[in-house]
Amino acid sequence: MRRLTLLFAAVVVLSAATSCKRPPAKVETIEAEQPELASVVSAGDPAHAVQFVQGFYDIEQGAWRWTRGKFSITLQAPGGAAQKGATLELKFVLPGAVIQKTGPVTMSAVLDGNALPPEKFEKEGAQVLRREIPPAIFRGPSVNVEFTLDKFLAAGAVEERELGVIVQTAALMAK
Amino acid sequence: MHRSRFLILWLVASLFCLTLYWPGLKAWFQQDDFAWLSLGMNVHTAPELWNALFAPKAQGTIRPWSERAFFMGFFALFGLDALPYRALVFATQLLNLALLISITRRLTASWLAAAFAPIFWAANASLGLPMSWTSAYNQILCATFLLGAFYCLLRWTESDSARWYVAQWVVFLLGFGTLELNVVYPVIAAAYTLLASRRHFARTIPMFAASAAYALLHRWLAPRAREGPYAMHFDSSIWTTLATYWSDAFGGTRLAALEVPPWLSAIGLAAPWVLSLGLGTFIVFRLRNRQWLVIWPLVWFLAVIGPVLPLRDHISSYYNAIPSLGLAILGAWAFAAAWRANLPGKAAAVIAAAIYLSTSSPVARAIVSYNFERSRAVRDLVLGVARIRELHPGKVILLNGVGTDRFWAGINDKPFRLLPVGDVWLTPGSEDSIQALPDLGDVGAFVYPPAATLRALRQNQAVVYEASGPRLRNITQTYQNMAQLRLKATLPSRIDAGNPAFSDQLGKGWYEAEGGYRWMGKRAEVRLGAPSRPGSRLQIQGFCPASQLLAGPLHLKVFIDNKPNPAVVVNRADEEFVFFFLVPEQLKNNDFIEIVLEVDRTVTPPGDGRSLGLAFGSFTLRTP
Repeated sequence: MRRLTLLFAAVVVLSAATSCKRPPAKVETIEAEQPELASVVSAGDPAHAVQFVQGFYDIEQGAWRWTRGKFSITLQAPGGAAQKGATLELKFVLPGAVIQKTGPVTMSAVLDGNALPPEKFEKEGAQVLRREIPPAIFRGPSVNVEFTLDKFLAAGAVEERELGVIVQTAALMAK
Repeated sequence: MHRSRFLILWLVASLFCLTLYWPGLKAWFQQDDFAWLSLGMNVHTAPELWNALFAPKAQGTIRPWSERAFFMGFFALFGLDALPYRALVFATQLLNLALLISITRRLTASWLAAAFAPIFWAANASLGLPMSWTSAYNQILCATFLLGAFYCLLRWTESDSARWYVAQWVVFLLGFGTLELNVVYPVIAAAYTLLASRRHFARTIPMFAASAAYALLHRWLAPRAREGPYAMHFDSSIWTTLATYWSDAFGGTRLAALEVPPWLSAIGLAAPWVLSLGLGTFIVFRLRNRQWLVIWPLVWFLAVIGPVLPLRDHISSYYNAIPSLGLAILGAWAFAAAWRANLPGKAAAVIAAAIYLSTSSPVARAIVSYNFERSRAVRDLVLGVARIRELHPGKVILLNGVGTDRFWAGINDKPFRLLPVGDVWLTPGSEDSIQALPDLGDVGAFVYPPAATLRALRQNQAVVYEASGPRLRNITQTYQNMAQLRLKATLPSRIDAGNPAFSDQLGKGWYEAEGGYRWMGKRAEVRLGAPSRPGSRLQIQGFCPASQLLAGPLHLKVFIDNKPNPAVVVNRADEEFVFFFLVPEQLKNNDFIEIVLEVDRTVTPPGDGRSLGLAFGSFTLRTP
């Protein structure tokens, strides 16, 4: 009993050793703003996160984000886009876990209300959707691109989330 | 000699425990921790203190020592400095290891068993959560009380000293303040005396009466859940649940979820079978020699896991934290016996111990590391918001990109009130990227309305921070550019009547917001965003002070889009009320619905001058 009492005293001493009230630690924020939207955005970069408007889950491994069946991204129009047009490029991965269950997936995109030609993806792995955008579409400083997959994993099929593709980057490149 | 040997074993076990769970010592707060930490914020009088300490809380729990007094006292002393909280958890666990060494030595008469029991228990994967999440301190402290009471029992049976018998009672009764599981202690005590010291058996019986009285009191204070995860199912599912916990007690089955070599994962899957076979063989050998005490560690496991077996839909690995103590004693006992037997016995003992330690401890470590990282992410978010408030006093703080994990671990339990920092919201649309978990809460309740967002940004009354990275990043200007182009000033389908941010959606008949609520007069109007799908229900939530019911129940009529619903009766004084109404499928307007509330009478409190109907909190459209 004496040993246990001593141990209990040690417990109390250990707690007391930390007992001086310390001010809460300061966690600094990043205040330097990037005032303009970017034309090239990386899904893993928190600085671009605001442009991944809808249908995206959390950043994973600091590099990519899972999407739902529908997702949208806002991109800054590159310089001269209203005169020469631009190239839209979405880099993503079509995971084996998805395509094995869904079969080939067709991705369509609508840019500020203008439908772009859809594309069918039949193999798993890294993919690129690339489309030429005519100048007439660029009427403001930025555009919103809504992507839709014809097939995706419904919530509960593999995990609790609805799963589409894994997006890495999106870009509007000047011509 | 005994003392120094005991001390060496305790130091070795403590070192092992500290090494394995080290990140848990540095963990911060998360989830329920914030609810417990805020418990003392509304305590100003003795009755309020009594209520805060002893009134049944979540799922009917009454745990003053391990939760309420612990969190309230430590918050008063240390605020949001997590280290003292974690230090107490670790110190308590080291005390448990000391008790376990002493008890195992007395049960088995083996120093080798006494050396390995605390190692085996400390390595158990089920301890991962209690050693890294402060809200699970109840598991660690309950183990202390159970082990403490049993230690006293052993000393009493050895010495026949009344002092130890009384000490056992005191520890046992105090144990009810840590966890409901304490109710099983009489089974543990009676089983031991039956198996090893029968003349003491009769004096353990009165403890059953104490447990029964506690169980009745608990049942009276906290009625059993009839549905949901905490509903109890007394059917054949109990056996499946028992098998799950038994298998899980060896930890290795969860190795498959970690990034480990496939061969180790395979060993982990085989571990419950191999180790069960080993323990079973040991038990059979002992029983053949009429050494009945070998059953006692199994009784411990079954008695302590027993109360959670009817929780078919709420299987939690950490519920094995205390039951696995029994298996640790049994395993260490078997190890010591095999080691003493012969060379094959030694080999079998080493292989079995290696299988267990190499498959269970990595899972424990992974759980601790996960909770450490998660809690640190919550810390950066919460303290980052405190910093934002310093930088931008008086402005609405909008957080963008808060993901599922950070929301449920760090925002749902309202940590900002502890700083205290108010007016912290999620940006409109955030609810789309956060997984809905209706059992835990409503993401929509934290989302700032689009129209109010646009207005606050325009008037320079809000700042927006991106929360998807490790540090909060000011994106006010970028977000404003985006919002002006993309954000539609649609009406949200949920409002907090007591929050001025939603006052746009309140029509005639309301008074000023006060204390998170807003009083209506006799008739009041609300406007909500139209439901996206048919079959929606309107949920209204409010509060009715006793003064409103002095003349009898109040009748509340709700009109949705001019269509009346049958009146509902508000008759519970000083309680929150919640009512549901079906939203008509044919709506007059595609964008919003009009709701009219009407009570059959109002009350004018002396000296107030207002005619008060009911106080409302939230209006929510629930879409199927």
